[in-house]
Amino acid sequence: MKKLIYLSITVLLCFSCNDYLDIKPVGQVIPTSVEDYRSFLTSAYSITHLNKILTTYRGDELQITPESPGVEQYEDIYTWNDENPSPLTRQFPYGSFYNVIFYCNHVIENKDNIEGDAETIDELVGEAFALRAMQYFELVNLYSKPFNLATAEGDPAVPIVTKYETEVDYPTSTVKEIYDFILEDLKMAENLISVDKQSTGFNYRFSRVAVKAFKARVFLYLGEWQDAIENTEAALTINSELQDLNTDMSAMPSEYNSIESILALETVASFDIATNATISDDLINSYNQSSDLRFDLYFKETATERYRSKKSKDNKFKVSYRTSELYLIKSEALARLGQTELSKTVLLEFAQNRYTPEGFESFKTNIQELDQENLLIVISEERRREFAIEGHRWYDLRRTTQPEITKRYDNQTYTLEKNDDRYIVPIPNDAIINNPFL
Amino acid sequence: MILIPTFLAAQQNQKLVSGTVIDATMNMPIPGASVYISSSLVGNQAKQEGVLEGAMLGTTTDFDGNFELKINDNIKTLMVSYMGYETKSVDVSKSSTGLNIILEASSENLTEVLITGYQKIEKRKATSSYSTIDVSEIQQAGVPTVDQMLTGQLPGVLVQPTSGAPGAPSKISIRGTATLNGSSDPLWVLDGIPLEGEDIPADFRDKDNIDNLQSYPIAGLNPNDIESITVLKDAAATSIYGARAANGVIVITSKNGKKGKMRINTNANVFVTQKPDYSKLNLMNSSQKVDFELFLASREDLQYQKERGDVARILNSFDEYNTFQSDGFSAISPEAQNAINNLRTNSTNWEDQLYQMAVNQQYGLSISGGNDKNDYYFSTGIFDEKGGTIGTGQQRFNITLKNNFSLNDKLKVGVALFGNQNKTFSYITGADSYTNPAYYARNANPYLKLTDDEGNYVYDPDLVERSDLNLNYNVLEERKNTSHDLAANSLKSIFNIDYELNSDLHFSTQLGLQLDFNKTEKFSDKNSYYTRKYRQRSQYSTPEGDSYYMPEGGIIQNWNKEAFQYNWKTTANYNTTFNNLHELDVMLGTEFRRNKTNQIHTKGFGFNPNTLTTVQITDDRALENSLFDPYQKGSNENAFTSFFGTASYTYDRKYTIFSSLRYDGSNLFGVNPEFRYLPIWSLAGSWKIDEESFMADLEFVSNLKLRGSYGIQGNIDKSTSPFVLGSYGNVSILPGMNEEIIQALGAPNPDLRWEKTTSSNIGLDLGLLDNRIYITGDYYYKKSTDLIGLKAVPLESGYNFINTNWGTISNRGFELAINTMNVTNPNFKWTSGFNIAHNKSVVEDIAIRKENFKPSLQGYSANAIFAIKTAGLDSNGLPVFLKDGKQVSAVDFYNLEQATDGSQLTREEHRNLYSYVGDGAPKFSGGFRNTFQYKQFDLRILSNFNLKQTVQATPSYYPTLAQPGNNYSTEILNAGTGNLPALIGANSPGFNTDLVYNWYNSYDVGKTYDNLDIWVKDISYIRISSIKLSYAFPRKQLENLKISGLSLNIEGRNLLVFGSNYDGYFDPETFGSLYAQPIPKVISGGFNLTF
Repeated sequence: MKKLIYLSITVLLCFSCNDYLDIKPVGQVIPTSVEDYRSFLTSAYSITHLNKILTTYRGDELQITPESPGVEQYEDIYTWNDENPSPLTRQFPYGSFYNVIFYCNHVIENKDNIEGDAETIDELVGEAFALRAMQYFELVNLYSKPFNLATAEGDPAVPIVTKYETEVDYPTSTVKEIYDFILEDLKMAENLISVDKQSTGFNYRFSRVAVKAFKARVFLYLGEWQDAIENTEAALTINSELQDLNTDMSAMPSEYNSIESILALETVASFDIATNATISDDLINSYNQSSDLRFDLYFKETATERYRSKKSKDNKFKVSYRTSELYLIKSEALARLGQTELSKTVLLEFAQNRYTPEGFESFKTNIQELDQENLLIVISEERRREFAIEGHRWYDLRRTTQPEITKRYDNQTYTLEKNDDRYIVPIPNDAIINNPFL
Repeated sequence: MILIPTFLAAQQNQKLVSGTVIDATMNMPIPGASVYISSSLVGNQAKQEGVLEGAMLGTTTDFDGNFELKINDNIKTLMVSYMGYETKSVDVSKSSTGLNIILEASSENLTEVLITGYQKIEKRKATSSYSTIDVSEIQQAGVPTVDQMLTGQLPGVLVQPTSGAPGAPSKISIRGTATLNGSSDPLWVLDGIPLEGEDIPADFRDKDNIDNLQSYPIAGLNPNDIESITVLKDAAATSIYGARAANGVIVITSKNGKKGKMRINTNANVFVTQKPDYSKLNLMNSSQKVDFELFLASREDLQYQKERGDVARILNSFDEYNTFQSDGFSAISPEAQNAINNLRTNSTNWEDQLYQMAVNQQYGLSISGGNDKNDYYFSTGIFDEKGGTIGTGQQRFNITLKNNFSLNDKLKVGVALFGNQNKTFSYITGADSYTNPAYYARNANPYLKLTDDEGNYVYDPDLVERSDLNLNYNVLEERKNTSHDLAANSLKSIFNIDYELNSDLHFSTQLGLQLDFNKTEKFSDKNSYYTRKYRQRSQYSTPEGDSYYMPEGGIIQNWNKEAFQYNWKTTANYNTTFNNLHELDVMLGTEFRRNKTNQIHTKGFGFNPNTLTTVQITDDRALENSLFDPYQKGSNENAFTSFFGTASYTYDRKYTIFSSLRYDGSNLFGVNPEFRYLPIWSLAGSWKIDEESFMADLEFVSNLKLRGSYGIQGNIDKSTSPFVLGSYGNVSILPGMNEEIIQALGAPNPDLRWEKTTSSNIGLDLGLLDNRIYITGDYYYKKSTDLIGLKAVPLESGYNFINTNWGTISNRGFELAINTMNVTNPNFKWTSGFNIAHNKSVVEDIAIRKENFKPSLQGYSANAIFAIKTAGLDSNGLPVFLKDGKQVSAVDFYNLEQATDGSQLTREEHRNLYSYVGDGAPKFSGGFRNTFQYKQFDLRILSNFNLKQTVQATPSYYPTLAQPGNNYSTEILNAGTGNLPALIGANSPGFNTDLVYNWYNSYDVGKTYDNLDIWVKDISYIRISSIKLSYAFPRKQLENLKISGLSLNIEGRNLLVFGSNYDGYFDPETFGSLYAQPIPKVISGGFNLTF
């Protein structure tokens, strides 16, 4: 019997307790390899934000009526009622941006610990920088004043978070700080990313051309025209293709598999936009229906002689940057610098692909004599037409003239004054409740 | 039969021993008592004599208590034992024939040792707080599990039934709540093996928890197999179980074979579950309902769903709704009048349609016996119950085998197997809240016919998804065409080895295995509301109209869960006494535990129950809808290692100090290694005052002991990691792509600390008059700090919530148990047991969330109830509120303003609307047990009580949502009088009524209406849980039949409840729950026969 006891004791001692306790749960992982981190970052890419959809309601592209199904989610956004919106109102996204930032931060923080091929790691970390910059770009354009060199150092924006911590404060940064941070991140992304262009299907991921396009947009918003031009040119050397609607009307140029696509990441339209709202008269009237090839491509007519967006919630409509935008940024920046002739050349190069030959001829004639101010108006209108229901309009209104907008809804007139404070979307309540600095 | 009656060593001189064994109190002979020579004596004696080692020498008494035995001459003592009596050693050195051996009944019914599951501690040395009860004292017929029998029987153990449904568990909390959102279930231990099983959901007012069938740890155990139950309460008692014991431990000791001849026991019971008293719900009858609908129709301002209900349908079909509204009943056509009046006579008897009186059965058979070398206990049982709610029931089959062997003097081996199948069945009630039968019975119109004259199902016209979509619900069809079954198969086996190296030192090792297979099946036929509703979710639009991608046919869903655990513990025990003054008991041990569960959930659509075939869904749209996932698998594995020890020192039989220490280690994937091992310890002492010389004169004090203990327990949250943990998934970001993703699980928290509970206990045991009066009192204080809970964090962190240490709760209270033997006449005996406990919990610290609508619990009980104080109604029937001692209108109270959406109150102001109104846990709880024995009759009455508990009813109606399609409590007829708010519409007359209407109709998102003080009240009640009368046939009559015992019994359970009224609900225990099935009243009769 003693043997039995000795045996038991021996067995007990042989058990290394830590081995015994080392159970790796099936289906759970602490990311270590570059493949793990890739899947981790893909998670971040897959998080979609509603902001482009909601700003489309807030802007001047749509018309809704009290009869539209589900309208209670949008009516207070539509009428800029920020004071006491109904509890059913859709919330502008805030936490979801920081959720993506959390993922990016985790990849960036661990860049030296990721196991795997160095180039693949650089690529991944570079993407994380760019994706993070993108979140801040959206946050700063939703929740703070547009960039104004004179005041940017004092204009409050949102907090900058670069690592995960518990029990810390999150004070806000200024608009200037956010833009500096974005440019810093984009510089890192440029240094790390070596893929020129992602293949179709993977083009939700950042590439060199996407980072350049993003930078061009940032400089446009900053009013750094020369930098904007340089970046569009750099991007155009990688992809300068435009879809000629005269020969190819099979799909919209904003679709993910279009030759124009540079980054197809953001969700810009929804089921409700496509089925329960119609296009505003303003936007419809901005098109020359007979010569503008985009009109039939973008819109369909309803039974009541109104128009609806053909862009819908389908994944194929995801878009962030495309070559058209490069042309329009370049044209605008040149015009801003007073180089109107160069600007017109670029604009025409683009417009050729959008109008019927007759239409193009008259467009060409129309802009021939324009001075800088009127050229900028045409470029702005062209942006409006080209990027209809693509999430550009609200930001474009903000960064340019902040005009007065009036809307009729439920037999009442609502006005957003020129330079109205409500060009800034208020930070959602659930964010303010949990962060006293906001 | 197992005993070898006489065994003789040939060479020895022998002598005859004979005598009679007699019961001390009854002065009656005891048949079947064991008379034997202890094997150690035989062994020691026989070694030199060449007698077979290990043989047993002994006999049992016959029916007259007589025995005869030949033994070796030199044997001087004989042992006599019988179950329930103290074993006696008899000197046979002088006289050996005609002995009159008197056995004393065990002085207390309770065992003389405290069984902790790790060790047996002599009661006199026990320093901790615990309660023990013999299951035979509380056994009730027709109760499948032992948890329900504990209700009110043990001080400080609050047992609350969750529903009267067969198989529904009771929620048990020991000494209050030590956690804010974790499980508060105690740990169940069977013969030393902690049992695994599902946690009992915290909220049983939630219908999903009520409708779910689950397998709880003790659901399969047959109460017939249980000898006693010990509840370990303070830290000194529970700390040996480590982190899992933070909520207390309930130790089940199963029956073993007793020394003596084979005993065969059979028992059978028939129990009749009564139909519940439907009138308790106070619902309107057909005539009242018709009048109510007419009243609603006459009110132009009450528009809510006014087209519903048969009255409105009749008026509309005659196109006379408006005529009625303007000119009254007499103005409408006689045909319409007749049709409406006919409704009054349509009385569907919901009580008969949904509930039944059910005749059920329960059988048990056990065979047991033993001798000095071996004892055995085999039993089997069948329990078959149909619920009071038609279509529900439970069936259980048990087999238990236990065998203990002494291989020699030193080595003992024990084997036990507990096998059972426990089936619970019901029908699908989870399609939405309306389909729960208890809920439906409250809401369906009383005149609604369930079948037409041809027997076809009539669908409820008022149970609709939308005004244009009725998926056709009929409760009878649903009951017939759906099923929801759980078959839980469980096998628990325990293997023990005990080796006694010498009288001081022994080792034991115990391996326990638990295997559970739980199979849940939900089937719904093509013709059922559940299927129709499910299919609706696969609807999509095509140019030709609506289409569905779910195939036609039934739905079959299976959940197969397989759980396995082993628990292996080894201990070394050293017990010694020196100088007759010092007693030392030391135990050291290790424990290894591992458990693994796998769960597979499958769904089949287009299922045909006759061919057992399903139809594949081919439509891509189904891929995006997890409702149509055909297969899901989950897996979970945990391992634990522990090291522990206890030491106890007793001086002069008076002073004992005890201490225990345990280190628990567990697999914590991705958890800070410093949290892998967690020390849990306790320190305790006792003073046995009655042993002191100054007590010698106080003879009436038979026992007096003072106890005190202090200890720390801890728990760590395993779901939170300091690292970023991920789980796998798949995603399609762009069309045609499918990529693996790793999604971050909950927020990491590297700062998370252990949840710690310190508890102190001071107790007194007092026995008077030979322990005829036995009083145990305890006072305790438990403080749980760093409680882990979810806390809202700044969204900038990337998360909404994080698991963090956020609160402190303390519990203090007392427990008092008094057991008395009031009368001990040979012909008449009366014993009582009374216990009462009080627990007061205080949330001492809690992180509040700024966006909360309701006040923080800080400074209040963990179950505090907050309500909004009203002060009657104004002239428009709108509630008047109390604010700062003044009466104010709803408009002022909620700060309602015209042309705004709802209240202008900040959340803090909103929180300040509330006042604390009471504790949701009873102030006092306990029970009272009385047993009367008159000659052959035995009468036992069990009761339990809860005093001063604040409960909250679910509002019987909403003032803006009263509609003719529903039935209501008759309370609604008094709306607008007393405290009950009037029914209002958007255009109801009165100043600012529209504001109040808008508030209650749309903007009261914090649900203040549900929390008006008119729904809250204090209740106290005492429930007579069992009255049992039994008759035991006198032995003399049975002798000729070779029967050693026969008793007949009848019992009534849950027959009476005294106390506050709980109108509107079936039972005070489930007050406020619209979904709970009634707790059944049961009458049973049966017999118990022993050979």
